[in-house]
Amino acid sequence: MPSAPAGPTAQPTADKNRPTSPADLDAIKVYLVGKSNELKRATAELKTLADRYYDAAAVTNFDYAALWSSQKDDVVKLVQDARAAWMNASPLYEQMEGIVAGTPSLAEYDVILDAGASKEEGGDNVVPFDLTLPDGRVIEKPGNLFGVSESALWGTFTDFTAQGIVADFDGDGQVEFSEALPDAHVLKAAADELDRYAGELLAAAQQWEPTESDAFTALVVMVPTMEEYFASWRDSRFVKGDQSTQRDFVAISRLADIQDILASLQVVHAGVSPLIRTVDASQDAQIEKQLAELKAFVADVHRQEQSGKRFTPEEADLLGKEAQDRATAITGQIAQMAAKLNIKLEQ
Amino acid sequence: MVLVAAATRASSTHAAPPAPGEAAQTLRASLVQVQIALRNNPRAAQAALTQAREAYAALADPLRHYAPEVDETVRTALTDAEAAFRRGEATAFAVARARAWTSLLHGSYLVVTGAVGAGDIATAYNWLPVREFRRATRFARPNADATLALDALARGATEPRAALQAIHADLLDTYQARLNAALADLATADARRFPARRAESAALAKGYFAILAGAFEEQRGAAQRAQADELLEALLASALTGDGVPAAMAQVTDSLRGFRAAPLSEAEQARRAGQMMRYLRLVPIEYGRGVRDGRVTIDLEIREAATFYEGAQAAFDDLRNIFEARDSNKAAQAAAIFDLLKRDITDAGEQRGVAAPEDVRARSDRLIALLAELIPAEWSTQNSAADFDVIATALDQMEQAVARGEYGLAESARVEAYAVLESGPEAKITAFAPQFKNTIEGYFWFGHGDHKGLAALIQQKAPLSEVRMTRRLLDAELALAQEALKGSDSPVAIATNSGIIVLREGLEAVLILAALVASFRTAANRHLRRPMWIGALLALIASLLTWLALRGTLSLFASLGEKLEAIVSLVAIGVLLLITNWFFHDVYWKGWMANFHKQKQHIIKGATGQFAGLLLLGFASVYREGFETALFLQALTLEGGAAVVLVGAAAGMVLVVAIGLAIFALQARLPIMKMLIVTGMLIGFVLVVMVGNTAHTMQVVGWIPLTPIRWLTFPHWFGLWFGTYPTAEGLALQFAAAAFVIGSYFLAQHLHKRRLRLTTHSA
Repeated sequence: MPSAPAGPTAQPTADKNRPTSPADLDAIKVYLVGKSNELKRATAELKTLADRYYDAAAVTNFDYAALWSSQKDDVVKLVQDARAAWMNASPLYEQMEGIVAGTPSLAEYDVILDAGASKEEGGDNVVPFDLTLPDGRVIEKPGNLFGVSESALWGTFTDFTAQGIVADFDGDGQVEFSEALPDAHVLKAAADELDRYAGELLAAAQQWEPTESDAFTALVVMVPTMEEYFASWRDSRFVKGDQSTQRDFVAISRLADIQDILASLQVVHAGVSPLIRTVDASQDAQIEKQLAELKAFVADVHRQEQSGKRFTPEEADLLGKEAQDRATAITGQIAQMAAKLNIKLEQ
Repeated sequence: MVLVAAATRASSTHAAPPAPGEAAQTLRASLVQVQIALRNNPRAAQAALTQAREAYAALADPLRHYAPEVDETVRTALTDAEAAFRRGEATAFAVARARAWTSLLHGSYLVVTGAVGAGDIATAYNWLPVREFRRATRFARPNADATLALDALARGATEPRAALQAIHADLLDTYQARLNAALADLATADARRFPARRAESAALAKGYFAILAGAFEEQRGAAQRAQADELLEALLASALTGDGVPAAMAQVTDSLRGFRAAPLSEAEQARRAGQMMRYLRLVPIEYGRGVRDGRVTIDLEIREAATFYEGAQAAFDDLRNIFEARDSNKAAQAAAIFDLLKRDITDAGEQRGVAAPEDVRARSDRLIALLAELIPAEWSTQNSAADFDVIATALDQMEQAVARGEYGLAESARVEAYAVLESGPEAKITAFAPQFKNTIEGYFWFGHGDHKGLAALIQQKAPLSEVRMTRRLLDAELALAQEALKGSDSPVAIATNSGIIVLREGLEAVLILAALVASFRTAANRHLRRPMWIGALLALIASLLTWLALRGTLSLFASLGEKLEAIVSLVAIGVLLLITNWFFHDVYWKGWMANFHKQKQHIIKGATGQFAGLLLLGFASVYREGFETALFLQALTLEGGAAVVLVGAAAGMVLVVAIGLAIFALQARLPIMKMLIVTGMLIGFVLVVMVGNTAHTMQVVGWIPLTPIRWLTFPHWFGLWFGTYPTAEGLALQFAAAAFVIGSYFLAQHLHKRRLRLTTHSA
């Protein structure tokens, strides 16, 4: 297991000498700590359920066919409970992702928990850890922990799924999407690590002393990531259906995640809004309005999806472009305000 | 639709017309809403279209005034959009929408620049928000130059011409980035077979180019501009039908190759040239580390090679126009070698085939030689700004390696960054911004104050967050140093720089040499001057050879600087301790007592050792500073040329020799007793300073621990000249050295008195 990223200490910033800032940075920290606490409770619940599933599988010596035939109802319930716990935990993280991923001193947790790629996927954002399973196997750089646990729970990746078993959950004679049992070792290891890192994130959030630079950087880094989120939505089951080969984002539509992320960024904006108003009140009002409109735009698309509309990939692409254009316009305005306030945006 | 509803609410509740920025966003968003609702919800689409027209009505007046032709284009585009909507043609609507939007952006550009030119700051201020921005990424932030320039103009802090220049540069640079992004989107949409998105992207590209066309024509002439217009029109036609898009794209890309809408300033061109050459030199180094026996052994090294390659390629693209104007043939050859290198690196990255490191090196060398011929002479001088850029890139790679848990590679990237610092800006920092030198070194190595250095963190496999923390502190110091170095590129500044370095580095050596040589003035020990002179001369020759050897290999040796200095300093201290002891117990004794006959035997017995010791002292005293001086002077030579550096160094050397002669003359005039006391004090002083500096160097490279004394601060010059830094180890060692010197003196006196008593007693 990797050593945990240490909680941040004092933050060097360009604005530390600003005498008294009208920005309400404490509100951002209070929000982050509150969400981190909720996340920790939710991941502990998931860990408990993963442990129970693991213990049940251990009884049959991880013979999943035997497990299925002997305890089918219990196993189905356990998996469904674990899925529900995951679906409770994941949005809690999304609701603070805007702050975590956008703050350089916390951003590593975003890679570990929610955004990091696997070794196979490669690129610049590969997770910094290997996953050691209870049976001693090691999965090198498996991808982010929400993704690993989601793939295991919903059976979207064979390596993380129990082998040698046809798990027809609803007994309709067909094995449909998500009718699969997780590999208990993978699920337990991922849930354990998820809970551990959630605890570390909580500790880091408690130690974090937000600065104006942190807040502006979070806004400028995270607001314009819309196109990436929409692209993962476009390629997910929610748009492509069975043609999708995406392993994660199968349980919750990415559109819900985007709204959660934007909500956290609205909290950040509210924190720095008094400061922006000191240089340009109308610009601040416009940023606030456009952030709300962007969130409403995504919510509207999500509502349509929930009412049964299936968007085509091209429509999803167009919507993503529009969200990105709006986000880029907002980011540009925020960057102008940061420059006027002489606040450094961290790289 | 939410947007339509929100916009309607906004228009009904606000009596005042919306600001241009807000109206423009409403126009753009409404047109997108029409596109989305076109097929399934014609009513909502119609409402959004009306909304778009209303939004434009609020914008039209200033456009008509400053850019009437653009006003006409927007109106035509909106009419076309409406017609496409009536026909239900999504693709045609997407094209008209893109044209309306980019025309509005063009109009805003003309309004802002026209208003600034006309002194109408209020209109410029209102219209500047009608713009797009470069897309922010994790590594790049949107530009704010135009906003700041307009602010400065409003405050009277800048001239309209300078403000206009900044506005042009910011906006043109932004729209060129958007043009490139539109072309990339077009390729993606074509690959995904999204017809409306494909046509929209082509229309956006055409619209963005219209904003840049003036700059294009200015740089390339009307004929090429007309050709580019035709190619973009052809690209749009291809995008509408879906036929031959890649070929049409390739033609457009070719016609735009090397074009830079916001021309780089002279200083920026030199900086980009510096980056290009530095990045290119690093490509074969990283590639060679990642490949062994025909296969990739370390992925990350190949990725680092790719990063450096991309940096060099981007700089080449920015400068290609200039290169082509100088020698189009060579520019084409360079471009071809860039392509070959790219293939080598891409193939290795994808494990498709691995070129031999020697081949990659040969290609890089050939490219560097070719580019050196293309680069104007005035750019060839080293540029500190480019050094700082390369340092930042190498440190980024260090962070990426730490993120992956690859600490060995992280250390290699850190050393790479340090080597660039040491072989470039450090010489200037030493002379012009010395207050940053120790802090920067500390953060690079084993720490400064309460913060651990990068070397220590990597050695301990510290988590990324800690590494990032130190990196941010280092970045802040580097930025301050870079700011402090501005204006230090002139020949006078570089010559002064060289002189100061020679003076400061040479002073310690000359102090000790002059003092000792002056003390060897009796017939009995005058011969001892010779080994010291020989040693000093040998060190000067060695320093000169080092200077020559460092030519072209500066960065390879730069990282050794501190370690070599520490080793030679230790030798110098060792010899100096012996000399101190010998001085108080031997020369002092003999000179004071004039007891030559009694000691003669002893001196003869120890003659070989004394000769070697003094020779070594002469050598080590000079060479311990000689290596670093050679390194710094070589770095300055790259920046200012050998002649300028040599003039400065010679001036510094004259001062050093003059000080040496002055000390020598002063001491020669003193009565022997006073001379010996002064010499003893000088040796003691030099020893204490040398111990302090050596302790500091050893702390920098992590050979001894570093315990900061928080309550104690010294001004930076104090550390620089006296080797005294607020660390427990450094101060303790300096104290021990001082105690040794004073102890030696009192011990010698004690022995001397005892001997006197014994002599008197026996007499």
